[in-house]
Amino acid sequence: MTNDAWMPYEPSAKSPWNLRRVVHLHRRAGFAATWTELQRDLKDGPGPSIDRLLAGKARIEGMPKDFGATADYLVRSAAGDLGRLKAWWVYRMLFGPDPLGERLTLMWHNHFATSAAKVGPTVRRQNEIFREFAQAPFGELLTRVVRDPALLLWLDAQANRKGKPNENLARELMELFTLGIGHYSENDVKEAARALTGWTVVKDRFQEDLAQHDSGDKTILGRKGAWKGDDLLRIVLAQPATTERLAVRLCELFMGEGAVDAAEIKSLGAMLRQRNLDIGWAVETVLRSKAFFAEANLGTRILGPVEYVVGAARALELFDPSPNTLILSEYSGNLGMDLFHPPNVGGWPGGRFWISTRSAIGRYNYANALLDGDSVGLPGPVDALGLAQRHGHGDSLDSIVTFFTELLLGAVPSSAWQKQLQAALGPKAAAEPSSARRIAALILASPEAQLG
Amino acid sequence: MFSRRAFLKTSALVSLAPTVPGFLAQTARAASPGNDSRVLVVIQLDGGNDGINTVVPFKDEGYAKFRKSLRLPTNDLIKINDRVGLHPALRATSRLLDSGRLAILQGVGYPNPNRSHFESMAIWHTARMKPDKGSPGWLGQALDGGQAPVDGSPASALIGLGSPPRALRGERSLSAALAHLDDLVLTGAIDPRKALLPTLPAGDVKAFVTRGMLDAYTTADRLKDAAGVKDAGAAYPGTGLSNRLRLIARLLKAGFGTRVYYTVQGGYDTHYSQLPQHANLLEELGGALRAFLDDLKNAKLDDRVIVLVFSEFGRRVAENGSLGTDHGTAGPVLLAGPRVNPGLVGETPSLLDLQEGDLKLGLDFRQVYATVLEDWLGLPARAALGSDFPRLALFRKRDS
Repeated sequence: MTNDAWMPYEPSAKSPWNLRRVVHLHRRAGFAATWTELQRDLKDGPGPSIDRLLAGKARIEGMPKDFGATADYLVRSAAGDLGRLKAWWVYRMLFGPDPLGERLTLMWHNHFATSAAKVGPTVRRQNEIFREFAQAPFGELLTRVVRDPALLLWLDAQANRKGKPNENLARELMELFTLGIGHYSENDVKEAARALTGWTVVKDRFQEDLAQHDSGDKTILGRKGAWKGDDLLRIVLAQPATTERLAVRLCELFMGEGAVDAAEIKSLGAMLRQRNLDIGWAVETVLRSKAFFAEANLGTRILGPVEYVVGAARALELFDPSPNTLILSEYSGNLGMDLFHPPNVGGWPGGRFWISTRSAIGRYNYANALLDGDSVGLPGPVDALGLAQRHGHGDSLDSIVTFFTELLLGAVPSSAWQKQLQAALGPKAAAEPSSARRIAALILASPEAQLG
Repeated sequence: MFSRRAFLKTSALVSLAPTVPGFLAQTARAASPGNDSRVLVVIQLDGGNDGINTVVPFKDEGYAKFRKSLRLPTNDLIKINDRVGLHPALRATSRLLDSGRLAILQGVGYPNPNRSHFESMAIWHTARMKPDKGSPGWLGQALDGGQAPVDGSPASALIGLGSPPRALRGERSLSAALAHLDDLVLTGAIDPRKALLPTLPAGDVKAFVTRGMLDAYTTADRLKDAAGVKDAGAAYPGTGLSNRLRLIARLLKAGFGTRVYYTVQGGYDTHYSQLPQHANLLEELGGALRAFLDDLKNAKLDDRVIVLVFSEFGRRVAENGSLGTDHGTAGPVLLAGPRVNPGLVGETPSLLDLQEGDLKLGLDFRQVYATVLEDWLGLPARAALGSDFPRLALFRKRDS
């Protein structure tokens, strides 16, 4: 029986389709949206808006005509340079047609957390696998990721040989990538390591070295046979614990703190199991659900560093000229998420851990640097006043405050909020470019703007 | 330096802020002299330090038997007594020992040792044998039971990159993280506190973020004061760890109110080719520790400071096939500062009388924690550790 939480959302008086929910949708399923995109979705309702996101057709501006060719060029010319790889990925997030796809790629990057600090630019092909199979049935993604050099090298697969097992890959496969702690025994790990012997990397390519494979019988999770690596994957994929762990990951991505309970997560896992672990199906179900648009899910998720950094540039329509994507990736690093460099195989803890003294100050400093322009690679300060005016606001301080509050938070500012912000500018402030910039920066740096 | 004017400046926050900053939310009690000015610095050695090659039981037959390639020549060791010596890279540390500023606690660990990095470190951080996701840290929880620094400084600080470690996590006490003094400089034109007011409905997460940002701005203010004090600089070796200890010394000299500092030295997981790596790490550790204590001594502050050095486990007695060692169990803990009872503490673990190839447990680390919390920091230990643990005689009496 499907839990009510996952039934489709229908706008109602209690849960109206309003600007707040539109902003919420784009903050969770993308990297914020421009004013025009928000107004269009507000008019069209949740159905078509989500359709567009799923189809990679939600963005109508800020996409270079030659995006595909440019992205390809950037990644090829990056070669082994990690900085350029990070800049390429930020370029995709800021300018690409499929922001939902990039969010899912980030989710898999965190799930199969592999650090370039150890395995170097092999992370690039891993990233492309994440992107290509982000919404496929999970088994297809799992098989390709575990047989890809980046993960194998990261977890010392080449040291795992017949008679000399190295448990690293087997352990993390069961503990982190599929079942989760408590759903396997130490013996299962040992036997799984034996099954994985022979999977190695030779000259940057996956190779199955049968001479190094321990071909004897193994008993894994109660199943006995002369298992090889592919058999192990089959066995762990069949366990309910794996689907539950995937349901948890999806809720970490789309749901805020306290927005769903254990029973609801379990229910999502059960439905996922019936659909062959089809991630795309689960993504669509979650995004269209009552739980996703419930009041309890609004403003309850702390934006991760790269979502915050790229989302700000996107909402402010900084497309041409645009900030330097390498610099944006460095800001994300300063705020705690250095792309391709998770702190360890467990990934980034996320959630409340994104807020520390350093990152709190860092977010404030980024907001100001972005609007001031030159330290993010823009030729000059952002024309915040012009942006407001293009969209029918900007003839008064009140109007400027309203515009940026609606754009960035989806909210209508209270009169207290108006007063407080304008007081912060000083008595001589008027509706002119520098005030508009200061207002945008203050709102972007506010606690509210850290939540999406 | 903390001043009444500075305090009044920050108290203006109360009228503007939607939530009260952390330091004001804690129990306010009159400051008492003595215990309140004492400081603890924790150096965490990440990866599992090989205690056997750090505090070497060179007379134990097991040493030559189990360590063929990794055995340190007896003549190279810095002798502590006729049975135990220090790794030669710890020359600076032996000076601390000679001047009565170092205690070496031997065979420290816990029952049913865990050989997973994550899990063992979680045990050391929470002082619980089976910590769950929400378990707070031993220091965080202990600091919750005390009073916050009156000047608005955070109760504890991680010096280095990343977020404060679990050990510092409490319910109410505030923990900061910084790698450089200018990490926390606000570079925008307008004080963000002037713009803080809720426009959206409040909630737990929002309150958390608001409080986190407010506290960060307060810490930044306190640091601005600290940055003004000149760094007269004793001779620090210039390594990563010594730079971090130097920053701590600078904060202390500036009167920064934080009492608990935490920093990490990584790289101790020596599965392959241990000797050169281990020597470099120990040299960095010893040099940094000595420069730090000498600096504080010159500033007449060292009486108030102790340094606790630990690792999540030691390593196996027998070396592996790759000129390294694998994860083990108990290991040494160092306690440095002029107020410690200097010398060796506890029994030197035997390398022959083993438990499944590993050292047997000597001292339970929770006894060390209990002693540091109660006898040094004057903080309640029972809640932080989960129960009572007998203390050790780690500190000199006030007048000795």
